[in-house]
Amino acid sequence: MFPWFKKKNSAKTAKDRLTIAIMSDRTNNSLPFMEELKAEIIEVVKKYIDVKKVDIQRDTQDGIEALSIDIELEK
Amino acid sequence: MAVISGKGGVGKTTTTANVGLGIAMNGKSCVVVDFDIGQRNLDMLLGLENRVVYDLVHVMDENISTKQALIKSKMNPNLSFLAASQTKDKSVLDSEKIKKLIETLKNDFDYIILDAPAGIESGYEHTIEFADKAIIVVNPEVSSIRDSDRAIGILDAKSQKVKDGQEVEKYLIINRINPEMVQSGEMLSSSDILDILNIPLIGKIPEDKAIIDASNQGKPIILNEDSEAGKAYKRVAARFCGERVDFVDVESPQSGGIFKKIKGIFS
Repeated sequence: MFPWFKKKNSAKTAKDRLTIAIMSDRTNNSLPFMEELKAEIIEVVKKYIDVKKVDIQRDTQDGIEALSIDIELEK
Repeated sequence: MAVISGKGGVGKTTTTANVGLGIAMNGKSCVVVDFDIGQRNLDMLLGLENRVVYDLVHVMDENISTKQALIKSKMNPNLSFLAASQTKDKSVLDSEKIKKLIETLKNDFDYIILDAPAGIESGYEHTIEFADKAIIVVNPEVSSIRDSDRAIGILDAKSQKVKDGQEVEKYLIINRINPEMVQSGEMLSSSDILDILNIPLIGKIPEDKAIIDASNQGKPIILNEDSEAGKAYKRVAARFCGERVDFVDVESPQSGGIFKKIKGIFS
């Protein structure tokens, strides 16, 4: 009703979104060998079963660091 | 010092020109080198485009000595400039040759500023390879800030100084701050950006229409005594020369009189 009283605060939204995006960028880019690792995993698994793609995520939870590797198979 | 940003169009070259000239105005010798091969622009901003005979690639190829390729600024004799090649592609950049060039320049200049290309490809990596310091230029805007963090990540992984177990000093310049928008909560404030990036601040540059006029004429904004952006760059240059200069609050609208304030309420 009074548009000039409506408080725009998209800067807060920007800060929150950026904080999360940058945090995830930093974890995922901290392993420079990621692409090579994916390629090698595909090669190994392919000996036994057809692989479509490999996805690797680095996570830290409760102080434990882990790589979670998702291997998607060909149908 | 390498001037980097990740994203293009945030004011890297403008910053290189103004900080370089500002350092020269402080009585120190300074050379600015354009590493943006194929997209030479620093020459235009410094008003030196008609004087370029030899460029970085000629020096890399060792046909031409560094001295022959350097151009002295008409605006200040302490400032020299080395142009990027406009024709060759960036594959001509070679680590050993860059190292040699920087060693040569170190003998003659107090400050060497390298203007990096946008992006995080090989041209960027070559620019930061032998840098002691990096000036990171961002706009208060999500894509610029995110891209700068990626560029910083690469700086911290691939520069020679880091490989030698040292740290590349980083200095943040926040460019194109719109005070009204920061006040109304529509634009990230400098403290928001510092929280996110967590690197030391060296300058806050307000948005200024006079920047366009400055680049039209090839006269860096730092020469414009009336410009808020020009004054801000002067403070940045003084800080790089070791002076203690207090930060000015460029995020509050300048006292533009009551009319401006009323307009602000109704807009």
